[in-house]
Amino acid sequence: MADLEIKDLHVRIEEREILRGVDLEINRGEIHALMGPNGSGKSTLANTLLGHPSYEVTQGSIVFKGEDLTDAEPHDRAKAGLFLAFQYPVSIPGVSVANFLRMAINAKRDEPIQVKEFRTQLQHAIELLDVDRAFTSRHLNDGFSGGEKKRAEILQMAMLQPDVAILDETDSGLDIDALRTVAEGVQKLHDEQGLGALIITHYQRILHYVKPEFVHILMDGKIVLEGGVELVERLEREGYDQIRQEVGAGAVAAGDSSV
Amino acid sequence: MTRSAKRLGPARLRPVTAVSESNGATDDGAGDGATANPGNGAVTNGAAPVQMKPGRHREATLYHALHGAGAGDGRTLEQLREAALKAYEAAELPVWRRSGFWTTSLESLDLDALATSVAESGVPDVVSRTLPDRPRAGRIVQSAGAVVQVQLDEALAEKGVILCSLEQAFEQHRELASEWYCKRMPIDRNKLEAANAAFWTGGAFLYVPQGVVVEEPFEIVYAIDRAGVAQYGRTLVVGAPMSDFRVQEYDLAQDFEGQALHASAFELYLQDGARCRVAQLQDWGSGEVFDVSTRFVGVGRDAYCHWLPALLGGHLVRQHLELAVMGKGGDMAFRGLFFAEAHEHLDVFAVDLHETGPSGGDVHWRGTATGESRASFEGLIQIDPGAQQTHTYLQIHTMMLSPKARVDAIPSVLVSADDVSASHGGTVGELDETAIFYMQTRGLDRAAAVKVIVEGFFEPLVAELQDEALEELVRGKVEKKLAAARDDIEAYAASR
Repeated sequence: MADLEIKDLHVRIEEREILRGVDLEINRGEIHALMGPNGSGKSTLANTLLGHPSYEVTQGSIVFKGEDLTDAEPHDRAKAGLFLAFQYPVSIPGVSVANFLRMAINAKRDEPIQVKEFRTQLQHAIELLDVDRAFTSRHLNDGFSGGEKKRAEILQMAMLQPDVAILDETDSGLDIDALRTVAEGVQKLHDEQGLGALIITHYQRILHYVKPEFVHILMDGKIVLEGGVELVERLEREGYDQIRQEVGAGAVAAGDSSV
Repeated sequence: MTRSAKRLGPARLRPVTAVSESNGATDDGAGDGATANPGNGAVTNGAAPVQMKPGRHREATLYHALHGAGAGDGRTLEQLREAALKAYEAAELPVWRRSGFWTTSLESLDLDALATSVAESGVPDVVSRTLPDRPRAGRIVQSAGAVVQVQLDEALAEKGVILCSLEQAFEQHRELASEWYCKRMPIDRNKLEAANAAFWTGGAFLYVPQGVVVEEPFEIVYAIDRAGVAQYGRTLVVGAPMSDFRVQEYDLAQDFEGQALHASAFELYLQDGARCRVAQLQDWGSGEVFDVSTRFVGVGRDAYCHWLPALLGGHLVRQHLELAVMGKGGDMAFRGLFFAEAHEHLDVFAVDLHETGPSGGDVHWRGTATGESRASFEGLIQIDPGAQQTHTYLQIHTMMLSPKARVDAIPSVLVSADDVSASHGGTVGELDETAIFYMQTRGLDRAAAVKVIVEGFFEPLVAELQDEALEELVRGKVEKKLAAARDDIEAYAASR
């Protein structure tokens, strides 16, 4: 049984069905890429996995480490070991990055983390992500540039040490330096901590820096193609339209059979 | 938050009233324009005089700044008490109305049932329980009508610092006290103001002599420990030229059943080059405490004041807060925060008055409300004729936490000089569900996420207290109020 098992997931937002039967399995230590054109349901999947209240699961299940999280509160999913790096991280004025991190870490523990232990972890994460020490005393995401926000996401991920992280278009809007830092951060967390990751992306760029073992292509709310890293190369050559034409008929047929 | 600037052209010869009204959203226009300022003879362009509805109460329908000299004006304390008594006897309990949308009425106050007690001893529990354990320059505590504790650092006393009851100040430093008492404070605008001026006992007097710099705060405490008390607080603070000090006022009550009244007058004058940071922490607890107070801070030539009231609770609270730059080069930061809960009624009128220029002003308030409470904040920038080269900005931010609570924020600008900038802005916010979800994905539960947002909302002001002990106290009070309103906040989220 995989650590994260997504089975036949159907999701609706405001009467519109976005996901129409997604099946996906992710284990710790595995890097997956989920690719798809705009509107295919990538962000819906990311938000649903963490329990965003606007998304309604109408069918299927999300099981994580044997625990059914389909209806769990977002913070319980986080405590179970899931993490979502946001496409558009939200600014939280009035709270420093460091204080927020301490709060988040303590939320997962019974005893508050020791000051010294926290500092050591923070120092390690800072070095990993090549950010300034002063960065952690700024208010979380408040007035951050796009690159800083994404770094802050990965910094949080490094500190919270989830089993499986979902990165929702973390690469979009980043210059090449920021992209490299972020991608290398993910790779290091994978190598050092055995992080499992689902990298959601519209482009292929980030996949030049993080090598996924599994690639899934999402179209119209269903996974239409799965494979290894060679799929990324194929997508780069052929584009989504080509793939859509190829799998179009099959996807519809599969959709019907799952009802 | 958006920011709007207003720069009036030089061609206007007449004082111009520019009153704008909005629900806190930025509005730099002339608003409904139907309001006038009855206080200082300024004229609304072409508008007819405001018609008052016939009825028992004929109070002003628009709040206005204190103007000109106070009641003092060469009169002795005894003469002032006598004049105030007459005003008290002639007046009804006040009702304040504004534009038909807002009424603050003291009709439910049973004033005759309350008594001013001067037979008090010992510092009430609520004081020892609330005030932080920290170094201080001095402390004066008044319980009901009597001063029950006075402490002053001996070294400061030797330097000429005076901290004593105002009664005692009139006995031992009569000339000094008389020079400043009621210098800018009126005594007869309403029955409770008159009651205070006629009946006050105890009181606090603080004088910081020329050039004396004091790091630690002077604490001035008014406490009510039971129902049935009418407390007339009277504070007079004078900072001599180049003095530099902090004042922290605490207004506290035990939780009790029944009514009590705190009607107070606070005057603070900063002479040339003096600097002062004033903080006020007010929490009247769960009793039916009425607080009707007038506070005036006068900033002299090249003087500076940072003033931050934290209004954290009271059954019915009406505050007239006025920070006036009276001398050239005077500068001020006027901050404030409020948190109304349950069935509380809070009415704040905050004035940023510039009587001369060049001068600077910066007003920044933040407030929220839970339960079925109502809060109104009206902020007025008033620039008098001749106060050229004044630059001032007013911002008010509110956050809605409950479907039944109401917060009004009304910034207005009244400018009678032509070479100035005066602007205002503000935001009306509610809990950001995206931010809550964001924090939840980090493991914080919903209540914790809400707490982070609300604390973050107040944090820019709390941090400005620049006093760790007091900051912790304010944060703790906000946290407690949020915890108490948890169901309410949930209901609000569900209703959207």
